[in-house]
Amino acid sequence: MRLVLEGFTKRFGDTTVIDALDLTVADGEMIALLGPSGCGKSTTLFAIAGLHQVDEGRILFGNRDVAHVSPQERNVGIVFQNYALYPHMTVAQNIAFPLRVRGERVVEMDRKVREIAGLVQIGELLERKPAQLSGGQQQRVALARALVRKPDVLLLDEPLANLDAKLRMEMRSEIRRVQLETGITAILVTHDQVEAMSICDRIALMKDGGIVQIAEPAEMYINPMDRYVASFLGNPPIAFLDAMADEELRLAGGASLGAAGRLQGLDRLVLGVRPEHYGPGKGVPLEGVVVMLETHGREDLFEVELAGCGRLRAILPAGSGTRIGTNVNWGIDMDHIFVFSPDGRRL
Amino acid sequence: MRQDRIGFLFLTPALIAVVIFYLLPVVMTAVFAFTNMSTATGIRGGGYLVTEQTLRDLSGHGLTGATLSQLADAGYEVDTEGLAALAATFGDRLAGHIEAELGGESFATSRELERALRDLRAPELRITRDRKQAASLFQRSVLNIRHDTADALRDELTGAGIPGGDHDMIIEAAYTGWSWTMRNFELLLSLPSTARYALNTLIYVALTLVLFNVGLGLLLAIATFYLPKPSAAVFRAIWFMPRILPPVLYVLMWKWLMWDNGFLASALAPFGVERINWMLHSEYHAWVAIILINGVVGASFGMIIFASAIKAIPQTLLMAAEVDGATRWQQVRYVILPQMRWPILFVTAYQTLSLLASFEYILLSTGGGPGSATEVWAMAAFRTALNNYGGNLQYGMGATFALVLVIIGTVLSLLYLRFFNFQALLAKPRIER
Repeated sequence: MRLVLEGFTKRFGDTTVIDALDLTVADGEMIALLGPSGCGKSTTLFAIAGLHQVDEGRILFGNRDVAHVSPQERNVGIVFQNYALYPHMTVAQNIAFPLRVRGERVVEMDRKVREIAGLVQIGELLERKPAQLSGGQQQRVALARALVRKPDVLLLDEPLANLDAKLRMEMRSEIRRVQLETGITAILVTHDQVEAMSICDRIALMKDGGIVQIAEPAEMYINPMDRYVASFLGNPPIAFLDAMADEELRLAGGASLGAAGRLQGLDRLVLGVRPEHYGPGKGVPLEGVVVMLETHGREDLFEVELAGCGRLRAILPAGSGTRIGTNVNWGIDMDHIFVFSPDGRRL
Repeated sequence: MRQDRIGFLFLTPALIAVVIFYLLPVVMTAVFAFTNMSTATGIRGGGYLVTEQTLRDLSGHGLTGATLSQLADAGYEVDTEGLAALAATFGDRLAGHIEAELGGESFATSRELERALRDLRAPELRITRDRKQAASLFQRSVLNIRHDTADALRDELTGAGIPGGDHDMIIEAAYTGWSWTMRNFELLLSLPSTARYALNTLIYVALTLVLFNVGLGLLLAIATFYLPKPSAAVFRAIWFMPRILPPVLYVLMWKWLMWDNGFLASALAPFGVERINWMLHSEYHAWVAIILINGVVGASFGMIIFASAIKAIPQTLLMAAEVDGATRWQQVRYVILPQMRWPILFVTAYQTLSLLASFEYILLSTGGGPGSATEVWAMAAFRTALNNYGGNLQYGMGATFALVLVIIGTVLSLLYLRFFNFQALLAKPRIER
């Protein structure tokens, strides 16, 4: 079901947390609300669920405005970071709870619970209590409970944050698989860009209660709207260098990076260089010293101090033999750098 | 080792308190329970005194009639001791006269001696009253004379010619101090009032606990949980007031509310309701009053415990329930209440014990009345041992009442401790797997 937020505004007391937010999620689409803590992403999610009052604006499920409908009558499913399973109920009872409070027949309930438990692969755990399950299993139960009564929208509030790295990868693809299989419209709230990029159709990157950019993950990575977006996506993260442009584009230390082109005459610029676009044999060589080395196994991550004008990161296949303290003469691939104004606008 | 000692050092105040305020009273209660201590016997032993009551007791125990009448009949003997006393009162002349006429003679009764005195025709003894007084100086009966030791009484009995075989029985009956006995327990089992106290205690504890300490406490905790924070705080504070009020003042206010010229009676009078004492009109009135008075105080304890237990339920659990479609009532029924099992058990256990032992509000309000309709076990113990109308405080019997409470309380505590299984209450820290 299509979900539309129109001019959604949320205030806590005198503080406006979300100001006139617009968002459209297509039927069957999975969208990520991505942003740092306090950007308003969870608030938006809770407002969609009905747990927070909407101060202004409309929330449309299909054509139905639910902005002032109680959470009980909205038909959304929600998965919380801490799973929020009822500790005194068995897995089966947990999953059946949304059906039970609606007074469904036991036989019907049982069938639906088994069906959904099969989907999230916890069929053999139905008689356990939540305390007897691992974090990943608990999250599967929470997912099943959210899905069992076929909600219009599935809301996921940092569902992977409490899991360890390995489980997180596993559950990440599980959530996507289940979402694709059920074809449900889903919103994932997360502060982890890897999570957002890997399983969502689109990402809405938020900052200070507003959406900065909405795009498909690849598009957002390749074509960030501003410095904030560029810095948020990418791991290891993008590096920034101060620069200026007369006839040539120059780093703050004076090193030239070639003709300035359309940037000519801007005397204060910020260049964004992703680690994969800096390294040996790329573009204009610059003198620098390796100051940090992280071994990632397949790759090595370097941090290079350029002579007098900041640091860049480079990611190279392992086995280059380069060590901390080595003088390097690596270059920047000028076709893939981002140029920002000092206030962060993309130029 | 050194640390162990420091540990004990820190524990010492608690241990001393436990010994002084728990163990010692319990041991003393247990000891007293097996005695017949009372105001009459004192608590430090006593002397030997044969009284009319002793004689009645003895006849019940099968002492022969002959011995009894020997004990009962005052014996009179004109001896030097009596004469000396007489000389002090009536002068040496009369003493000499009597010695000469009656010296060494014995009389069975006062009347015989008085007749003999009259026959002397002495001017000092013209009046009957004087003769009676003079005769009494020669009384040598064992009755109503206190002896400090058993041997002193035995000598006296021998002197009075009581058969030696009866001495032990008489001495035992004449003992005025306390003695060891099981009679308290026999009485406890046989008196109908005991059953009444037990039933009263059951009514008092069960109704106060279920209706107020747990029931109302739970209701208040849930109600205040859904109220906005500031009003919830005010509401809770109001319910907490009775607890911090001095009990005497608190009960006085209830009395003022309920007595026959009080608020309730006056407020209802214009509607044609007869003015009655709403607290003591009947035993039903008294029970309602007592349960209200105790319950209004007791509810706040449960309220505080339950409210904090509800607060400890993760917020997201209730959010999840809300989104799952559960109404407020369903959230309470299916999410909150099932997680209140331990706090409810705790409050039940704790309050059972404190209610069993408490009677101050009953004492202050109905005083156990009307009649003894609202007298509970703990209060019976108090009254019997420390504050009864007759004035003869039966320490031993009271201690027996108290001992029963101590035993019930201790057994209940042990059961609760076991039932609670505190180890299981402490959740182990869970690290994500």
